[in-house]
Amino acid sequence: MSIIEKLYQMTAIQEIVNGPGTILMLVIGALLLYLGIKKKYEPLLLIPIAFGLILANLPGGGMAVVSAENIQIDEHHYKNLFEIAHDHGIMNFLYYSLIKTGFLPPIIFMGVGALTDFGPMLRNLRLAFFGAAAQIGIFSVLITAIAIGFTPAEAASLGIIGGADGPTAIYTTIMLAPHLLGPIAIAAYSYMALVPVIVPLVTRVLCSEKELRINMKEMDKLYPAKQKIKNLKSVKIAFPIVLGIVISIFVPSSVPLLGMLLFGNLIKEVGVTVARLSDAATGSIMNTATIFLGLTVGATMSAEVFLNTQTIMIIVGGFIAFAISIAGGIFAVKVYNLIAKKKINPLIGATGLSAVPMASRVANEIALKYDSKNHVLQYCMASNISGVIGSAVAAGVLISFLG
Amino acid sequence: MSDLGFALQLMGIGMITVFLILSLVVLIGNLIIRFVNKYLPEEVSKKVQQVASQATDFNRKKVVAIVSAVKTVTEGKGHVTKIEKL
Repeated sequence: MSIIEKLYQMTAIQEIVNGPGTILMLVIGALLLYLGIKKKYEPLLLIPIAFGLILANLPGGGMAVVSAENIQIDEHHYKNLFEIAHDHGIMNFLYYSLIKTGFLPPIIFMGVGALTDFGPMLRNLRLAFFGAAAQIGIFSVLITAIAIGFTPAEAASLGIIGGADGPTAIYTTIMLAPHLLGPIAIAAYSYMALVPVIVPLVTRVLCSEKELRINMKEMDKLYPAKQKIKNLKSVKIAFPIVLGIVISIFVPSSVPLLGMLLFGNLIKEVGVTVARLSDAATGSIMNTATIFLGLTVGATMSAEVFLNTQTIMIIVGGFIAFAISIAGGIFAVKVYNLIAKKKINPLIGATGLSAVPMASRVANEIALKYDSKNHVLQYCMASNISGVIGSAVAAGVLISFLG
Repeated sequence: MSDLGFALQLMGIGMITVFLILSLVVLIGNLIIRFVNKYLPEEVSKKVQQVASQATDFNRKKVVAIVSAVKTVTEGKGHVTKIEKL
């Protein structure tokens, strides 16, 4: 009898019976895996996050990330990494060394930079302003979240979902409200995956057919640019260097993200001489970082942390932040069109949030539905890329004031 | 100050900062373009024109593609001086 009892105790059956939330979390993990694998919603991140979630909720597995109180010795001292690995397992070792230190999001930003082409933005610099207008969702939801009871730091982490930039959202949350990392990462990446649904929805509500038919190339012919770039390669090399230095003077707290983004972009633009670095940044380094980021973020979502009303509010608030950001960009274009002769298609404002390049692709498809000759992709990319800079700057401001 | 008042202040500061930085992006971009146009205009464009005028059978886009390919492969050291159709 005692052998049977020992065998029973060895299994996780009793723990599952004691905590039914575990089953619900495993179902959520399976659902996220389904969305990532079958529906292809941001699969590169959603699959590791979902599997990390499942690992964290396997009873007795010891893979869930523990709260910071468990690794704190006294007010200013924490366990070292060896002690964390020994006491709390390998997942906590990865989380506290790679995530809690804020290491991985900038590394991913380096890869994003090496994949980003600033060319469309440099050719249409004035469109960069719409990337600023689209950050309004971040701050609107910040205010609303405080009004309904979130602390300012939690509200800022929730609002940053409106920037539509996964690494920025994760970095800001690590700095301000690490206990909300799981739900915020899920909301940020889910809504980024739902850009093909959210952008057309908001555009349909706020834009007239006449506005969506504004042909950007026709406008360029009517009102040509004052100056053409005579040596795009040199401009593209100088741009990240000068911009990085200037931004570091004004918003130093955004440097970990923007600095790495601009470094990644520089090694891409330098070309063949450092092609190996650029390949590493966009390939092996970025892929490795993505795996560890996804798994560890997923592992923060144990049943007791995830299953509460705050998570539901984050999911709802994230959607509102996203929608307001798109609307902010559209309204900025509408205001601009009231005073300018050279009209701009409001879809360019709608792509002022990050989510590069999916938002631009979706906007281009919408424009082509109304006018088969109206290719707006390059113009949308201009505001889209400036949105990446804008959301990183907004994150820097929030971290400076609330961190 | 209440949290809500602080949030409103943060919104003002945040949006102004984002606009300021993106204005700087526009300004820096324009300054770099002007500087490069004045002091570092691409030499290849002249060579492309020379080659394009010689190779009348080729259309301009093809010439530009060939010159760019040669430049990339030779890391900027090689130049196309003549294109002949075989």
